[in-house]
This record gives sequence, structure tokens and C-alpha cells, in this order.
Amino acid sequence: MLIELRDMFKTYEVGTQQVHALRDISFSIEEGEYVAIMGPSGSGKSTLMNIVGCLDTPTEGSYLLKGTEVAALDDDELAEIRSAEIGFVFQTFNLLPRMTAFQNVELPLIYGRAARQTRAERVWETMDAVGLGERAHHRPNELSGGQRQRVAIARALINRPSIILADEPTGNLDSVTGEEIMQIFRGLSDAGNTIILVTHEQYIAEHASRIVKLLDGRIASDTMT
Amino acid sequence: MSVPGTEIRQGIAKAMEFRETLLSSIRTLRSHKMRSLLTMLGIVIGTGSLVSVMSLIAGLNSSVSAQFQSVGTDIISVSRYPWVQMGNSDEFRDRKHITLEDAAAVGRLRSVGLVAANIHTRRHLAYDGRVMKYTLVTGSTAEYEIIDNYLVEEGRFITDLDVERRRQSVVIGADVAGELFPVRDPLGKDVRVGGRRFTVVGVLKSKGDIFGESLDDLVIIPITTFQKAYGSRRSVVIDCSPAEGVSVERTMDDIRQVMRARRRVPRGEPDDFAINTQEDLMSAYNSLTGVLYFAMTGIVGLALLVGGIGVMNVMLVSVAERTREIGVRKAIGARRGDITAQFLIESIILTGIGGAMGIAGGVGIALLVKAVTPLPAEVTVGAVALAAAFAGITGVAFGVYPAHRAGKLRPIEALRYE
Ligand SMILES: Nc1ncnc2c1ncn2[C@@H]1O[C@H](COP(=O)(O)OP(=O)(O)OP(=O)(O)O)[C@@H](O)[C@H]1O
Ligand SMILES: [Mg+2]
Repeated sequence: MLIELRDMFKTYEVGTQQVHALRDISFSIEEGEYVAIMGPSGSGKSTLMNIVGCLDTPTEGSYLLKGTEVAALDDDELAEIRSAEIGFVFQTFNLLPRMTAFQNVELPLIYGRAARQTRAERVWETMDAVGLGERAHHRPNELSGGQRQRVAIARALINRPSIILADEPTGNLDSVTGEEIMQIFRGLSDAGNTIILVTHEQYIAEHASRIVKLLDGRIASDTMT
Repeated sequence: MSVPGTEIRQGIAKAMEFRETLLSSIRTLRSHKMRSLLTMLGIVIGTGSLVSVMSLIAGLNSSVSAQFQSVGTDIISVSRYPWVQMGNSDEFRDRKHITLEDAAAVGRLRSVGLVAANIHTRRHLAYDGRVMKYTLVTGSTAEYEIIDNYLVEEGRFITDLDVERRRQSVVIGADVAGELFPVRDPLGKDVRVGGRRFTVVGVLKSKGDIFGESLDDLVIIPITTFQKAYGSRRSVVIDCSPAEGVSVERTMDDIRQVMRARRRVPRGEPDDFAINTQEDLMSAYNSLTGVLYFAMTGIVGLALLVGGIGVMNVMLVSVAERTREIGVRKAIGARRGDITAQFLIESIILTGIGGAMGIAGGVGIALLVKAVTPLPAEVTVGAVALAAAFAGITGVAFGVYPAHRAGKLRPIEALRYE
């Protein structure tokens, strides 16, 4: 099992109030699955993604990633896992504005301590795979939204992670561009990658092979398509 | 063909990573030119004053120590005026003259070795239409050569016979030789010293200059001739050296006793004359450089502190502005140390550029002082290295806190930051 969540809670303290973002979540994901997470705004989708992506830790319960208990790890150990196992794609792209597309894609390799000699080759390979070859030396503000999201996907793929996490990757794109991005995810899934994707749109979710619906921090349904 | 070892390759990879961080830091600083420049001002002033003052002191040190050696180390000089005067010098003017008889009495002391009485005035020199104005004219004896450490380049020094017979003999300094005899050999030529005719018997080796004043712009004549020519109502300076095996202190005590007795200084009153030694000059010089060092340390410390606080401020602002960037970097695998190192390097680059500008400015000031004033200056590797080190240390010291803050930002919170 790649991901195993058991009786997991995430609670935020806001002043004296407790916000239960996630309650009693238990589910697992196997290698190669393509999972869509849906639910109304505030239902806990992003919170769940952040925990699965090791950006955050659960308040209670257990999260096993490849058999390792993540809840017990410290900052640097979490960083190592993010570097080696996780690829993030954000709704707002989150590219570094002062760097070129190439440099943005290369950055995870540097943090992953890849030797310089092999880096350039990997970057070109990955950028070609998302159809960005000739835009490599442009900065993000010189690229269209679709192109930016391709750079972000290339950056997520560059370390060959075990899981690709995408939080509303088409949320800031028009439907045609969104569909193009979804085709890239389809290709990645067909190549055997594990993908977890958050979306509000039913037609986007239908690309996935499994749909998990959240409501008020709980799993409301979990169905295969 | 040898394959480079893995350590070397890892080293290269490390260096490359550093290069990456360096380039990204420079990119950031370039995008905030004005702010970075203002921050660097303190560092520039700090390192600049460090380099310029240290260069100045190094220059003074080397010229002064050379000078002190050339004067002769054991010399004791009795005169109305102390070499190093503090406060009002009017009180010295009313003091009784020191006489040739005093010099003779000092010379009779057993603790005294050689004695050379000497008198000074300033006169115009002339030879064959060439004129030198207000040159130092010294009247003395043969012993003056040894006690005051003069070396003869050509010809001879004043002799006992010159003194005995009140000869019109003159020994000229290197500057005088150069000025009055640019082509001809001065030996045997007749020059005018204050209108009177003297025959050149010797030329002195150059002693160089001290604080921009030449020590070679002088002539020496027999003391007896001096008195006949320019009058005897002038206070005498008694230069002497301790006798073989006697300490300078012992000799000074004896001289003090004799002089007080001859000048009838009542018991309990202070001396109405001065006994000068090299040490007085040395300690005066040391207190001067001490003041310079003190002032420099103050300025440098303050400027680096102000610069450092500026650096810290800029770095904190930079961390705040780039919170989201830090979140993104962490999300894609940056460790705490990667982020801390990035900001620390940025801070060091900030102070490093400031330091480089300050060092360049300091070297410039030192060279300018050397060129337009008589003060010597010597830019030393030590001064430059110290300034560079201070700049770097300031970068680290004041960059640590912002860098640490950046490093420990929690990734989700950083990503949420608007
Ligand atoms: N740092 C936080 N502090 C306090 N409450 C938080 C924090 N992060 C999330 N929450 C709360 O947790 C709940 C779930 O938030 P989350 O962002 O996971 O929702 P979401 O399903 O992603 O919503 P959206 O579709 O709008 O992105 C919300 O009620 C939110 O207000
Ligand atoms: Mg969300």
C-alpha cells in the first residue's frame, strides 16, 4: 500500500475555537491509482492534500507512506520525503517569478542533491514531456496560464515522485486549456504514476478512476468510476 | 587518464550548488538596488575607514621606525624645550639659556660618554646664482657625527681642528648638495651661508624625511665659527650618549643633578630644562597612533553595527516579502538548512559587496592622502583582509537571525501567506 490513513483528525485552533478540518479519515491508495477528491468549499480537501503531501502533519491518527509513519517525522525528514516522493501542482502555479522556466523545473533536482552534470538532461527531457521545449528560457510572466501550469507539472515530475498531488490544477485555466492539462495527467496516469487531484468539477473528476467526496471534514463517499 | 575521485566530484557538486544560491541571491539584490545600496552604506564606511586608517598607520610606522633608527637609539638630548610639548609652550621661552659651560660640565660626568653641544639657526644659502632659503644651520663639534648618527657620503665631517681654528668649513646635507650643486662636485667649493663664505668639506648621506619634512635640508659648521658669525646669545642643545656600560636612566639622573645645580633650581621645584630621549618620541608617537586606533575602532565598530542592523532589517523584509517563495521552495523539497543557507549567503553577499566598495574606497583614500599630503600611507594585505573578514562576519552575525527565521517557516503557513 502506498498511502494508508487511519482514524486521522486535523484540528485547527483559532483563538479559543476549534476548527475540525478533518475528522476520522481512514482510507488507502495503491500505487498507480488516479484519485479525484471532491467536496464543497471548506470541506477539507486542501487540508487532506497537505497532509498527504507531507506539508503538514495530522493532529491525531496515523499516516503511513510506503509503510513509514509520517506523523512522527521532524521538519527535515518531511522535507526529504517531499523531495523524493511528492510532486506538487498548485492552482496558482506557484512558480518562482525571477527564475526562468528551466530554472524552476531544475530547482527540485538541486534540493534533491542531483549531480549537476545529469540535471540539464533531466530538465530537457521533462520539459519536452509536457510540451514546453522552446519556452525553457522564458520567465513565468512571459508564459500563458496553460504554459505556466505545464512548467509546474514538469517541476512536480522532475524527481520522479511516487505521488503527484494537484490541488485544483485547472482552477485558474479556461476549459480548453484545462482539458489540455487533464490530457497530460491522463498520460502520466497511463504511464503508471499515482495521482491525487482536487477538483470542484464533475467532468474533471471523471478523468480519475476513483472519486472520494468530502463533507464537513469526513469522507462522504468513495466510489470507483 | 585518471578519473576524478568521488569526493572531488561531490565537492564540485557542492560548489555548483553554492553557485546556484549565489546567482539567485545576486538576482534578488539586483531587483532591490536602491535598498541594498543604502544598507551597504554602513558597511562601506566601516570597512573604508578601517582600510584607510590602517594604511595610514602602517605608512607612519614604517617611516617612523626607519627614522628612529637613523637618529641613533641611545641619544640623550638636553634642551630648554622638550621634544614633545603638551599644552602652552610660552612657559619655555622665559627659561634660562643652556650654555657651552653647561655642556662642558655634562661632558665631565663619568656616566657620560660622548658630548656634542649644538646650536641652530636658519639662514639663506647661495652658490653661483642658486639660492636656498631658511635652511637649518647647525653649529657643532666632531662628536655630533657619531651621537646624532650622521653618515658622510663624500669628503669629511667637522673636525676638532675646524672647531679649534674657527674655520669656515661646512658639511652640507643631501638636499643642499642636490639643490646648489646639481652638476658640479660640491667639495672645495665656496658657498654663502647667511652671507658669509664657507668652504664645503663634506656631503652627508640622506636621512630621508619624517612626517613629510626632509632631514637633509641642513648644513653643519664648527660651533665656534657659528658663534663668531651669528652671535653667541643663543641657547645650546647638549646631545650626549651614556658611557660604556652605563644605563640611559643612570646617565639622565646624573645630568639632571648637574643641570639643576648649575641653574640653581630650588629643591622641590620642577626642572627648568628638558632631558629628551628616543623613548619620549616613541611614546608620543605611540599615543598618537593609539588615539588613531581608538578613533578608528570606534568608527568602524559603530558603522558596522549600523550597517549590520540595516542588513538585518533588509533581510527580515526580504524574508517577509518572499514568504510564499519560501513555502514553494519547501514544498518542492528544500530543507530548513537550504533556506537558511540561501538567506545567509544573501546577507554575506550584501555585506561582501559593501565591503568590496569600502575596501576600494579606503585604498583610494590612502593613495590620495599619500599623493597630496606629506603623510605616508601603505596599503597592507592585512588591512584589506581584516576589512573583508569584518564585512563577512557582519553579514553572518546580522544575517543569522533572519535566515534562521526563514528556515523555520512552516511550509503550509508560508504557502498560505498573501
Ligand atoms: N491554518 C488554518 N487555520 C484555521 N483554520 C483553517 C486553516 N486551514 C484550513 N482551515 C479551515 O479548515 C477547513 C478546511 O479548509 P480547506 O482549505 O481544507 O478546505 P477546501 O476543501 O480546500 O476548500 P476550497 O474548496 O475552498 O479550497 C476550513 O473550514 C478552513 O477554514
Ligand atoms: Mg482548497
